[in-house]
Amino acid sequence: MTNIGAMLKSLQDPMGVPFYPLVFQVLLVITFALHIIFVNLVVGGVFMSVYGYFKKGGHYRPLAKSFAKATTINFSLLIVLGVAPLLFMQVIYDPFWYTSNVLSAAWMVGVVFALMAAFSFVYVFYLKITKERKHIGVWGVAAFLLIILVGVTMHAVSYQALFPEQWVRWYVGGSTADFSGTILHAFQLPRFLHFMVASFAITGIFMMVYSWYFKDRDDMDRSYLVWVGKAGAKMAVVFTVLQMAVGVWWLLSVPANFQFYKNPVFIAAGILAVVLLLVLIEAQSNPQRYALPTAGLALISVLGMTSAREALRVLYAGRYDYSVYSYKLNLSYGSTVLFAVTFLMGIVIVGYMLTVVFKMGRSSKPIDLSSLKLRTWSVYLMIAWVLMMIGIGVAIAS
Amino acid sequence: MYPVWQVPVMGSALVIAFIASFHILPSHLATSAFWFNVYVEDKAYKEDRPELLEFIKKYVLVILIFSFIFGSLSGVGIWYAVTVSNPKGISALIHNYVWGWASEWVFFIIEILAIYIYYYTLGRVDDRTHLTIGLIYAIGSWISMVIITGIISFMLSPGKWLRTGGFFDGFFNPTYLPQLLMRTSFMFAIAGLYAIVVAGTLKNREVASFIVRRASVWGMAGAVLAALFFKLYLWSLPDTAKELYGMSVLVGTVPDIAVAAFIALFVWFIVVWIRPQLARLVPGVLAILILLAGIFSAESVRERIRKPYVIDHYMYSNQIIPNDMVAKGVQGEMGTIDREGILHYSYFVPEGLRTIDDADLLRSGRIIAQIECSACHTLESNGWLRPLPAMMEKAGLVTVDDTQAFIGFLDSFPFMPQFAGTAAEKRALAAYLVSIRPHPAGAPAGRATIGKIHR
Repeated sequence: MTNIGAMLKSLQDPMGVPFYPLVFQVLLVITFALHIIFVNLVVGGVFMSVYGYFKKGGHYRPLAKSFAKATTINFSLLIVLGVAPLLFMQVIYDPFWYTSNVLSAAWMVGVVFALMAAFSFVYVFYLKITKERKHIGVWGVAAFLLIILVGVTMHAVSYQALFPEQWVRWYVGGSTADFSGTILHAFQLPRFLHFMVASFAITGIFMMVYSWYFKDRDDMDRSYLVWVGKAGAKMAVVFTVLQMAVGVWWLLSVPANFQFYKNPVFIAAGILAVVLLLVLIEAQSNPQRYALPTAGLALISVLGMTSAREALRVLYAGRYDYSVYSYKLNLSYGSTVLFAVTFLMGIVIVGYMLTVVFKMGRSSKPIDLSSLKLRTWSVYLMIAWVLMMIGIGVAIAS
Repeated sequence: MYPVWQVPVMGSALVIAFIASFHILPSHLATSAFWFNVYVEDKAYKEDRPELLEFIKKYVLVILIFSFIFGSLSGVGIWYAVTVSNPKGISALIHNYVWGWASEWVFFIIEILAIYIYYYTLGRVDDRTHLTIGLIYAIGSWISMVIITGIISFMLSPGKWLRTGGFFDGFFNPTYLPQLLMRTSFMFAIAGLYAIVVAGTLKNREVASFIVRRASVWGMAGAVLAALFFKLYLWSLPDTAKELYGMSVLVGTVPDIAVAAFIALFVWFIVVWIRPQLARLVPGVLAILILLAGIFSAESVRERIRKPYVIDHYMYSNQIIPNDMVAKGVQGEMGTIDREGILHYSYFVPEGLRTIDDADLLRSGRIIAQIECSACHTLESNGWLRPLPAMMEKAGLVTVDDTQAFIGFLDSFPFMPQFAGTAAEKRALAAYLVSIRPHPAGAPAGRATIGKIHR
């Protein structure tokens, strides 16, 4: 009989982690929340653009076009925001993540190609729908199905990671061994649906924000914007209710001895969801006015949800006395400071660029933004970063 | 030890190699293109030539689609492929360089926002703001190269890190600067190459000639500098790598392919510089494919001269850590594995095969081969990656005894690791290897041995 706790311990990286595990855990939760919001927006966005395309009449066509365009950008952000949680996951949960990945290796490599195909199809759909081409629904539908397939794989690999007691059996099953990694071993429907249903609630809120953002543009159709806001608010409220129902289903399917319903993180997340629902109900009458507070609250709710998910992972891992907090430490202050400095610099530059895009999008005519102070600062900061690295490099060499 | 992913015939290493080599095209384009772009855009404003903006718009769309669909996803693809092929290797890199990668990630976000904003604000914001966004992209994406080169070159030559374990000691390692200079120079050649392809599709031929002329100069300059820095890179290699670079049995004609591709590209730059009208789509794309062949060869050389390690002098390609790494408190695994046996050391082994007995000798041997050999060798005779049956034949090994003795001094080849495991395991591996060897006619000794084992 294998001692699971010892196995997990032995799989941890012998070099330990370069900073306190709590920091990686917090970063994991925050960056995963950001990633999953864009996953939601891509799932919902592809669906809405295809739905709008087939629906044809009324305001659906322009909505489909807007979603097709937005989805190309959201897809890029989904990918880049996925990099960070993938990284932090491997720092503190390496035994779980790596083993589960190898067990379904072919699927994980397949995910990359499925994503390439899906993203290409999204682009084809976008370029064709703006040119009013016919018979293009197939690109959108194919993209949607591929994205769902990727979702299924990512869910299964994350989920089977939680069951180290099954790994050896899945891998070598008695006397035979399957080294091909072509099987997904575990799947939990309510957990998967909790990501999928949320997509439509988040996309509804995105529509409210869209309606608010463009309301002052003189080249936009007022009645269209009002319609988008109302449709979005309605969609958000319906799917938030559904999401809560799925949440209860999920809660009932986690091991009873966790007593997860008593977990403070879970309770906080639940309260946030209820508050979000109440605000959404209130927002129905005037979605544009409530767009920003709703979006802010939704962001916090998603954070609550991902925190609860992490709390659950802590419980699963704890069954075998695995705690990220007892990971061997090999402190590296230098590299930690490097990241902190880079991160702060990033906030300034990203802030500058978002200001540009915000102001540009609000204006129907070309706009002069050359007087923004952050413009030159952004460039100077990056040059300073390079100089800093040269300085460190010279110090190391000498 | 983690479980092993085995890809039949192809070998998991080639899965990484194909994805990684492809990734170089869009990624170097992503890091280089905007320097050329900003240069052309600046000219368009200063010389009041708005027709040049037609090129800008097209060039950026190529980057957007090629680099930000296939480039970013193949980058993630390398990571996934490495994760499932060599989890302990990527784990070692991440546990050293997580903050490096996290910093690179900050620049990824800057890049992605910058390129979309650049594309969608062309003509909608003032010139200076637009140029600044372009410049932010150019610098930011080059910095992502500054960071990742530190990690890639670390694998080849960890330098002082082996003693100190320090992040920056490994980052600024002996081959870092030569590699960074080489890649930076070469990326300008790649930018020129793509610009020539895009120019080939422009309707305004006068603009096309203008672009091709300048792009080919960028290309030639980048290529010459890259060649010079390549010399510096060879000179900076660790002695062991230099030795392997000189071994034709390991490296073969691969560097020649890279050199030939390089010369072909240089000739192409000269040709279009003299006659820009020859820069059409088809020859342009052909030039990019030649480039890909060259890159594949050059990267493959780098992988080969690092053998038998995945991280030089720290971890073997088969994920075994041979020696202690005192600075980080890591214990070498060789002693434990030799004592307990690899089949006991790894958790992911069928229970019945852990202890070697005659009935299951070959099956145990096969598992050992999968754990210790399959990272670099395919087990099938029609395998693509140094197939073991062919290696057995090459080494002239026929009997189990001879093979077992051979495995015993495997590491006398500078590119091979030590065998890790008990004597019984060594014998099981030898028996398995003999069993997969193509059976030579009239080799009674070999046959007899195999027959005995099968019974």
